[in-house]
Amino acid sequence: MSVSKESIAIEIKDIKKHFKEVKAVDGVSLKIRKGELFSILGPNGAGKTTLVRMLTTILTPTAGDANVNGHSILTGKKEIVKKIGVCPQVITIYEVLKAEENVEFIAIMHGMTRKEAKEKTRKILEDFGIAGRKDWSKRFSGGMQRRLNLAMSLVFEPEILFLDEPTAGLDPQARRLVWDYIRDLKNRDITIILMTHDMVEADSLSDRIAFIDQGKIIAEGTPTELKEKYGSDNALEVSFLEQEDLEIVRDNIKNIPFVVNWNESSRKERNTLLISFQGGLKNLMKLLQQGFIDSIDEVENIKFRQNSLEDVFLNLTGKRLRD
Amino acid sequence: MNLLENKAIQIAIKNIKDKTRHWQYLVFSLGFGVMFTLLFYSFLGREIFQYSFPGMIIYITAAGTTSAAISFAGEKTSGMLERLDTMPTGRKNLFLGALLSETFMVSLQIIIMFILGYVVLQVPFKGIFELFIGFFIAVLFGISAVGIGIIISGIAKTPEIANAIALFYYLPILFLSGSLWPFESAIVFFTPPYWAKQVFLQITVLGDGLFDPLYSSSLFGPTGTAQQLPITLFGGLLIVIAFTLAFIILGIIIFQKKTKF
Repeated sequence: MSVSKESIAIEIKDIKKHFKEVKAVDGVSLKIRKGELFSILGPNGAGKTTLVRMLTTILTPTAGDANVNGHSILTGKKEIVKKIGVCPQVITIYEVLKAEENVEFIAIMHGMTRKEAKEKTRKILEDFGIAGRKDWSKRFSGGMQRRLNLAMSLVFEPEILFLDEPTAGLDPQARRLVWDYIRDLKNRDITIILMTHDMVEADSLSDRIAFIDQGKIIAEGTPTELKEKYGSDNALEVSFLEQEDLEIVRDNIKNIPFVVNWNESSRKERNTLLISFQGGLKNLMKLLQQGFIDSIDEVENIKFRQNSLEDVFLNLTGKRLRD
Repeated sequence: MNLLENKAIQIAIKNIKDKTRHWQYLVFSLGFGVMFTLLFYSFLGREIFQYSFPGMIIYITAAGTTSAAISFAGEKTSGMLERLDTMPTGRKNLFLGALLSETFMVSLQIIIMFILGYVVLQVPFKGIFELFIGFFIAVLFGISAVGIGIIISGIAKTPEIANAIALFYYLPILFLSGSLWPFESAIVFFTPPYWAKQVFLQITVLGDGLFDPLYSSSLFGPTGTAQQLPITLFGGLLIVIAFTLAFIILGIIIFQKKTKF
């Protein structure tokens, strides 16, 4: 798909970073559109952090270049750093400063007046639920420190935001809060580059995703595209109380066109049928209707496993993302 | 622009908050000089102690090496330096802010020592003007110590290592410089604290002018071994300034080289 130059936030052109013999990033090219939430997924050591450190002007590439907000990372560092926000994975705050002192400090580093900095700080701390805390930030819980870490990268309203595992270590409630905030940022047309191990997070938030492995981009697309192209079939695992029920269902599904295959197993007195099928939730409903509901009264247990980004990565590389 | 919106000033304020909010840091770093002063004063008595006190002040001022080394190494290892590098902060402001905050801490240390020595313990001195010059020399030397701290932080991988290297450097050098007690040897001329201590001492205790000759040690008088050198106090002061500039510039170069990729 061709994209006009004005709508590109980041353009990476055959960028490489080698540390002696190690090719951390080895010829990556990408285009990230303005206002897009683009996730970079890959196992530890795949090269995603090195790639982002180059885009944020911390590292100089061995070869290639990238334009961030229209400026080359080789020559336009001064302009780039005015418009980007970086939220590192490791919580990077001044522990003896209060939350508002930490955020205000960052705001002033971005050239805000004290009045502006105070106003923006108050607002963002309220948004993140940490306003009013007057103690040192080292006394905050891990979740609060992580929210502060994120608030510090957002206070100056960057045009491009790099988020490195923004919800690592957060409890489900805090994770939801951060996700909602990220969605809100998307609505404000901020371009977000998200690095995460959390497949659910990437799937639910991203417009597009790139999988990186051994310094190279191995797949790129929307979550749906990737799952359709590289994913596995959906699967339904059903345990029956009676062997007869299993046989009835097995006979029923034989003629359903979207059912790919099935496996029977009887372990520990449990009669289990694993059914792989294509398509989404609509087909799941049809499968339940045609295979089960009209024929049997009860099952012992039922599990649905949806085609996921984890499957995509597994199928592409032969390894799991956390390996 | 409001002065408080200046990035270097903000960095300095942040650094000072970072140091002064740890009461243990305050007590043990500022209290270190107080402890040494009281110990030496009680051993030597006021008459002899007046010759030791300038060296004591220089010795305490050199703690700026440890403070700066730990502070910069901490920024490096915590990831804050990298975070600041992704902002329009500029390393220039970072160094300037650090110099301002360390100079503030060094000045605070010297003021405490002056009050303890010249006010509480009544250590003799020539005059207020001479004390002002002494204060300036001590601050200048403190800045050179910060420069060495920045060099160390560039090399050290963690604040703990920075602390160890700083101690490894400044403890022997202060003995070799004759700052804590007299040391008659040509080695002293190669150590920055000697020059600062000797100029400070001759101005505040002897009342010498900038164009009087410098001596080799603090052992003056008929039985003393101090020898007149072919250099004036002004020359000694220039050497202190040269050391200060050299250490700061070298510190910035090494730190930049070690933290840019």
